Amino acid sequence: MNTSSPVLPLTVLLACSAAPALQPDHEAPAPGPRAAEDVPRQLGEIGRLLEAAPPGATVLVQPGVYREHLRITRPVTLVANGAVVIDGGGSGDIIEIAAPGVTLRGFTIRNTGIDLDKENAAIRVLAPRAVIRDNIVDDVLFGIDLREAPDSLVANNRIGGKDLDIARRGDGLRLWRSDRTTVEDNVIHDGRDAILWYSKGVIVRRNTGHDCRYGLHLMFSDDVTISDNEFTRNSVGIYLMYSTGVEINGNRLIQNRGPSGYGLGLKETDRFVVRGNLMVGNRSGIYIDGSPFSPDVPGEFTANTIAGNDIGVTFLPSARGNLLHANNFIDNFNQVAVAGRGNLDANQFWKGDSGNFWSDYTGYDQNRDGVGDFVHESATLFEDLMDREPSLRLFLFSPAQQAVEFVGRAVPAVRPEPKFTDEVPLMRPVPVAALPTGGSPARIPLAAGGALLVTLGGSLLGLARDPAVRPAHGGVR
Amino acid sequence: MTTLAASPNLVLPGPPSALRNTMTLARRELRDAVRSRWFFLYTLAFTVLGLAVSFVSAAGTGGSGLSGFGRTTAGLVNLVLLVVPLMALSAGAASIASDRERGMLSYLFAQPINRSELLLGKFLGLAAALLASISLGLGACALILAWKGLRTNPQSMFWLCGLAFLLALGMLSVGMLISTLARRASVAVGTAIFVWLMLVFVSDLALMAGAVALRLRIETLFAVSLVNPLQVFKMWSLHAVDANLDVLGPAGLYAVEEYGSLLHAIFAGCMVVWVLVPLTLASVVLSRRSPL
Amino acid sequence: MITIDHVSMKFGRSVAVDDVSLDIQAGDSVALWGPNGAGKTTLIRCVLGLLRFRGSITLAGHDVRRQGKHARLLVGYVPQELGFHDELGVNEAIGFFARLKGLDRVDPHTTLDHVGLAGHGGKRVRELSGGMKQRLALAIALLGDPPVLVLDEVTASLDAVGRGEFVALLERLSGAGRTMLFASHRLDEVATLARRVVEIDRGRVRRTTSAAEFVARTEHGAVLHLHIAAPARQAAMRSLAEGGFAPSLNGVGLLVPVSPSQKAAPFRVLAEARIAIDDFEVVTANHAADLAARAHARRETTP
Repeated sequence: MNTSSPVLPLTVLLACSAAPALQPDHEAPAPGPRAAEDVPRQLGEIGRLLEAAPPGATVLVQPGVYREHLRITRPVTLVANGAVVIDGGGSGDIIEIAAPGVTLRGFTIRNTGIDLDKENAAIRVLAPRAVIRDNIVDDVLFGIDLREAPDSLVANNRIGGKDLDIARRGDGLRLWRSDRTTVEDNVIHDGRDAILWYSKGVIVRRNTGHDCRYGLHLMFSDDVTISDNEFTRNSVGIYLMYSTGVEINGNRLIQNRGPSGYGLGLKETDRFVVRGNLMVGNRSGIYIDGSPFSPDVPGEFTANTIAGNDIGVTFLPSARGNLLHANNFIDNFNQVAVAGRGNLDANQFWKGDSGNFWSDYTGYDQNRDGVGDFVHESATLFEDLMDREPSLRLFLFSPAQQAVEFVGRAVPAVRPEPKFTDEVPLMRPVPVAALPTGGSPARIPLAAGGALLVTLGGSLLGLARDPAVRPAHGGVR
Repeated sequence: MTTLAASPNLVLPGPPSALRNTMTLARRELRDAVRSRWFFLYTLAFTVLGLAVSFVSAAGTGGSGLSGFGRTTAGLVNLVLLVVPLMALSAGAASIASDRERGMLSYLFAQPINRSELLLGKFLGLAAALLASISLGLGACALILAWKGLRTNPQSMFWLCGLAFLLALGMLSVGMLISTLARRASVAVGTAIFVWLMLVFVSDLALMAGAVALRLRIETLFAVSLVNPLQVFKMWSLHAVDANLDVLGPAGLYAVEEYGSLLHAIFAGCMVVWVLVPLTLASVVLSRRSPL
Repeated sequence: MITIDHVSMKFGRSVAVDDVSLDIQAGDSVALWGPNGAGKTTLIRCVLGLLRFRGSITLAGHDVRRQGKHARLLVGYVPQELGFHDELGVNEAIGFFARLKGLDRVDPHTTLDHVGLAGHGGKRVRELSGGMKQRLALAIALLGDPPVLVLDEVTASLDAVGRGEFVALLERLSGAGRTMLFASHRLDEVATLARRVVEIDRGRVRRTTSAAEFVARTEHGAVLHLHIAAPARQAAMRSLAEGGFAPSLNGVGLLVPVSPSQKAAPFRVLAEARIAIDDFEVVTANHAADLAARAHARRETTP
């Protein structure tokens, strides 16, 4: 696809219109360079350009704000030549691509309707081999909606949803029966879901999703590769349902804390490998429900770092045949939980001579082979009680909780059955993959804060020194 | 020996203002507290344990710096819950009872001061000592965490410090009430330790048992837990650091859904009650009782 | 200066002070005399506004309960014993109490010099001897030169030497013009410091006399001061009473008036009762007469 030559013979140059604005632009400025707002355009200008363009043409659109709804019916390359805003005026879809092989590049597309039944979308693709890249899609119900558009590319777009209640939002990105599509380097925020329906062989990589419902949701989508994405502050980071053959590598799933709040959830999913991901601060780092569905191939979790979640990994009692090895379980309030009750005998927490790293492992390693000399058994009385009576979580982090734990350790009679056993717990964490790149830890403010507190304490102590004796001039005499 | 004699018609200036006396007494109390063994030992214990918590949470992350909200804050909250009430309760309990025992209380009351000035002065002095202890301890922890590169928010340290101080004020107030009621310092400190045990362990354990045995509704559970200032401190610091309470399960979710941004006010109200009511009672008791 | 008007005070059901009225003029020096438990200390605490009582007490017109701060500003108070914080420094103590009395500029050196404690300013209070502590208390009481000095058995916990020195110091410092109210059961103190003596027993004022009359009346020949360990005192009282003596209790033991020819008789009685005597003093008629003479002299020199 050649999108880099600006002066093809067939290029239609759109002259700067000198015509006065038909109507002034009243709405609040949306994202996009300010310059674009200064140049109102006549209604239907791009539409007329498209009508004039033969198949295979590259249509260059000049800067300005265009209030129109487009339907592209020929395989053209539509490129914004600068800051081009296409404004839907708050109704309907904005761009519909009905021809295969259309490229849409560099536009700012905003302000769709809010009709959930009609699924108003900024860009709706109804044909294969579309290329949607470098666009800013904002204030929209649905962002990019691919319906039966296989072999497409959705790259480097920025998609922001409308400021609506979550139940009234649409999906930032939706693929419906669009096999072999690549979704990369997009940012999706404040939408409902980014969702794949019945789409095989899709690659989803290096995307960022935040403040949505599902960062990424797979429904019946097989052989999907999900790698190096970052999903932050969504209800759920990644949720796989009824999909087979999914690779999940190097993703960062952070602070997904909705009502379910999983970093990664797997429901009745088969042949999956979860490798080198980072799950931090979620309600549950990983949630496993009936996966793997068919027991012949184990679900594999390895080299993941699961840290600071309320629950590290939640297993439903139906989860069996999972193999977790060489993962780091660091400071999750509850490292592994079984929803409801029961044990995890049907899952395995080590492979060969490599178990997992558990930050709460209390054993030691006398022969220095990197593996703890005692098995790691997860059995704390308070966790057991919490599994039975969830409202007891209210007493987390209290000395009373520790008292209960202490009793659980000291009195064998009340010690609960271990939920699982790691025969070969690691003494050191495996290298943490997928560390967040940007945003260095708040070292300096923290150090400054600490110094401030110490100074405060110190100066209070200074107040307490002996006051200098003031000599009396004349005094009592 | 020169003219020490007083003439009967001597015109003396009026007595010092309440503010001045209170500040004089507060400074005196702060000095005495800071030089005392209990202050040194508590501050040392608090700092060392805090540093231990910080090091352990730094080590637990395998150098990744990952702890989310994590064990660091949770560990520090836990430590504050354990140490600060004990420190404040026993400091408050010892304050007036030990003066009474030494005969110092009646001597002080024989000076041109009011009793409420003494109470408030002692309260402020001890409060300053506790604030020094808490901020030294938590400040040292923050420095260690920063050095170890843990992703802990500096605001959360300030919140923790401020709320720990508020908790200390409440417990100090209770301690001083005990102190005005007790005849001997040993009895007062003993009572304070008993109260500490009740607040730290017994009430929570009883409430847990109640939750399991009686299947208390979460509304009830939350409401009852507001009675315990330690629980209030805990919930408030989690809420302040994390902006929600879902880590505390259904009861926490209920609290946030039901009260939302009112929660700060509710927690603050509970704490203020714990500071003001015992102190007011102590003032009443002190003004009515013989200082002997 | 000090007006005590129908003051009564109960501890539970026992009456400690029973309808006491007393008017003390500026410059007067009044000793409260009586056995232990007579109500002397209680009355003094009422005067300081430390206890709740019925009746009224005013100091230079200030009600000690309603205007306690104003009233107490006029008073320097020395208790039986000081119970300062262990770590408190001498200079610090002076600075602290000076501020409470509203004084900003106090030179601790001069203050300490007055009571013979020059050079002790840098010490901790706990490093001082009993006598030095009492002198410090006196120095603090005199801060701001208050018109009234109230002393509560200030020598009770001192040994004989310390007592002598302290009384001498008080005599020097109390000076002319200052109003003094003090509790004592030591004849020499009363003779040295008081101009009037109010005898109190079981909370009631029994008699008010001039110090000279009081000393003269008390001179039976001699008074034995017997130092007896506390547990044995009641037994000693009984034995002596059965032996025909009229003993009374004081802080360290018993006072037994004896005729000059029978000074050893109480020792025999107590030996038979197997009660040990730790120490004793004899205040003879001559000594008492000397004290009385001094008291007379004082009355004549003061206006």
